[in-house]
Amino acid sequence: MSLSDYIVTDDLTIILGLVAACLFLLHNLYRPQSLVHPILLGRQSDVARVRNPGESAVYRNYGTGMMGRFPVRPGKEQNVLLDLVKPDYDAPRTLWSTKITNPELREKVAAFGSGLISTAGLAPQESNVLLLLNDGIEFLISDLALASYSIPSFVLSSLSLLSPVLDSHPPSVIITHATFLSNLLELIYDSNDSAYPIIVVVGDVDDKVIATTGQISIVKWEEVERRGTQGSRLPFSTPDPQDVFSVTFSSSLPGRLQAVQLTHENLTAGVAATRNLLPLSSAMSTLDTIVSAFPMSSPYGRAVAYTAVYEGTSFATLSSTELMKREDKISSPLLDLQSINTLPIPSPTILFVKPTHLSAITSSILERARSSASLLYPFAWRHKFAAVLEGFLTKQSLWDRLVFDNARVNVMGRGAGTIRALVVSGGPVEAQSLVPARIALSIPVVNSHSHLLVAGPIFASHPLDLQTFPPVPPASGIASAADAYAFTYMAPVGPPSVNIEAKLLGVDDAAIESGADPRGALYVRGPTVGKILRGEDDSGEGSEDWVETGERAQVCPNGTFRVVPVTKSK
Amino acid sequence: MAFDLGTPINTALLLYILYTVQRILLPSNALPKTVPNEFKGGYSWMPKSHPPTLLYQTYTPKTLEPFDGKEGKRILLAINGVVYDVTAGRNFYGPNGMYANFAGRDASRGMAKQSFETDMLTPIDQPLDKLEDLAPDEIENMRGWMEHFSSKYIVCGKLAENDAT
Repeated sequence: MSLSDYIVTDDLTIILGLVAACLFLLHNLYRPQSLVHPILLGRQSDVARVRNPGESAVYRNYGTGMMGRFPVRPGKEQNVLLDLVKPDYDAPRTLWSTKITNPELREKVAAFGSGLISTAGLAPQESNVLLLLNDGIEFLISDLALASYSIPSFVLSSLSLLSPVLDSHPPSVIITHATFLSNLLELIYDSNDSAYPIIVVVGDVDDKVIATTGQISIVKWEEVERRGTQGSRLPFSTPDPQDVFSVTFSSSLPGRLQAVQLTHENLTAGVAATRNLLPLSSAMSTLDTIVSAFPMSSPYGRAVAYTAVYEGTSFATLSSTELMKREDKISSPLLDLQSINTLPIPSPTILFVKPTHLSAITSSILERARSSASLLYPFAWRHKFAAVLEGFLTKQSLWDRLVFDNARVNVMGRGAGTIRALVVSGGPVEAQSLVPARIALSIPVVNSHSHLLVAGPIFASHPLDLQTFPPVPPASGIASAADAYAFTYMAPVGPPSVNIEAKLLGVDDAAIESGADPRGALYVRGPTVGKILRGEDDSGEGSEDWVETGERAQVCPNGTFRVVPVTKSK
Repeated sequence: MAFDLGTPINTALLLYILYTVQRILLPSNALPKTVPNEFKGGYSWMPKSHPPTLLYQTYTPKTLEPFDGKEGKRILLAINGVVYDVTAGRNFYGPNGMYANFAGRDASRGMAKQSFETDMLTPIDQPLDKLEDLAPDEIENMRGWMEHFSSKYIVCGKLAENDAT
């Protein structure tokens, strides 16, 4: 047979040829475009050109740059805490269970502040007030009131610190809930202090408890507000942004009380940093509803709450943030998330949660999807995974409609349709579990790192970053097994936040000069980092303003960090 | 199920069509075994190396002298005890540059007196130039140059005496 017999064509050839050409174009050109160009993900931090021996270079966010100034406020006029409640914006939004507008909030703040000062005879900068409240509108109002009248407030990260704090830093006033009043009275009587604080109570007090008060004066919250409204309204003091407005007590080691001072500037910078967690194209706006799993008694939780206040969104916190838990039940993360369904807030759009919540949501969504659409599920998973590997993710694809949307509605209820972004922090996230989470939710998931000392995120990954790397064990030179595990299997937390600079101390110079990843103890600096209150020894540490976080970290060549989780996280 | 498509070309096209359909319906989920070092090589890529950083070191006139840019080495020069890495200005300070005299040396006097002659440099084995006999406006000039260098080039060390370790 000659060559011409092989290449004979007929009509079928033409048809097949056209089909083949179409499929070729479809396969090669109809690829999903990555949400962010990968060239941007190769250089996520700006690195200093010189480093000191024994230290790594200083790393900053690439957007800020080594020469840039850190943003310390979200807008030009936000200098102190009360400025975060924008006075000229007057649409109502729901904060926990109260529907309120900004001018009304400012009115309440002024009324409560004046009432409290006249009731308790507080002196600015000298008296202290302990806020022993669960997260709620009362916490916010008292926090803003005390900040605006320059009265430092105390908050506790856990109830076990109550008696040490009452002993070492007795406050003039304690604001608490009626349900906790009897426990508090017991503690005060036990402490044998001569000067009893005045107690402001939120809620209705039981008559039996009133009988046991004795010499301690109890005032109701509404009474204080009424006095402030009816009496003379004191003008707001003009605090300096560098003034300390709150002290957070926590205990890193059992028995050791650690106090972190927060200034107005810490919080305004924290709000600026938290706003930058989401991409500019889908920034937070007044249409959003933010739900947070971080209590306002922690600096990070406070930054999230004040971001919601500043942006004019509705806001609520989960029931796991309660300082004084109502019942002694250990609720599952999913029940925790569903606790906001009892509040009259609109459907949540942005979640700030912990890794336990994220893994609970992910596993239940995937479980539901697998059981309900068992034939299509493998295809859906395969296609979504392939898209993630290309850097693309959407909530409106065919597979979502067929397979995942039903599962999401089953698990998240009304939030399934409205949640558009999720920020996870407060614990380690495994790299392996991040891809299932992205596929299950199909929204931007920001992996961020927060710390007790910092009012805002320290590190935050790019919201549209979908890169997945296979776990690579580090070459050599790791001191502990925990470090090696973390550096291999934990997901990178991204570059430093817009107003944080970070460096690693105790690095191996020879290893870095030969090209290895720097590894060492993490030190941070920036306007969101609070100051640790040291007892009496305020020894000249002013110039050394790098703060030790107590954690170890490693930097990858693209500028993202991997942080070893602390064994005891608060 | 062998069906005769009439010609080998048709069979070939059919096979290609089946292969492409399979790739479209069942995309690959495999992570590449080695992480690519270029963004063209894949979406999840990692640069090969960290951005270069210099280690801040203490130099003496003897250890500073080799860094004169010959054979592609870095170019360092010192002004008033501060060592600058001027490799970016190879045109000026490199082997054939106008100010090549300053490469690897203490250029303080030359910067102050605005002169590039070799008599502005002190020999390496002698103590550092104390710059005591300079007039105030020359000191001012030198400080101006230091500011210029700090913004244009990288501060990467300090200069100490030869025998001080």
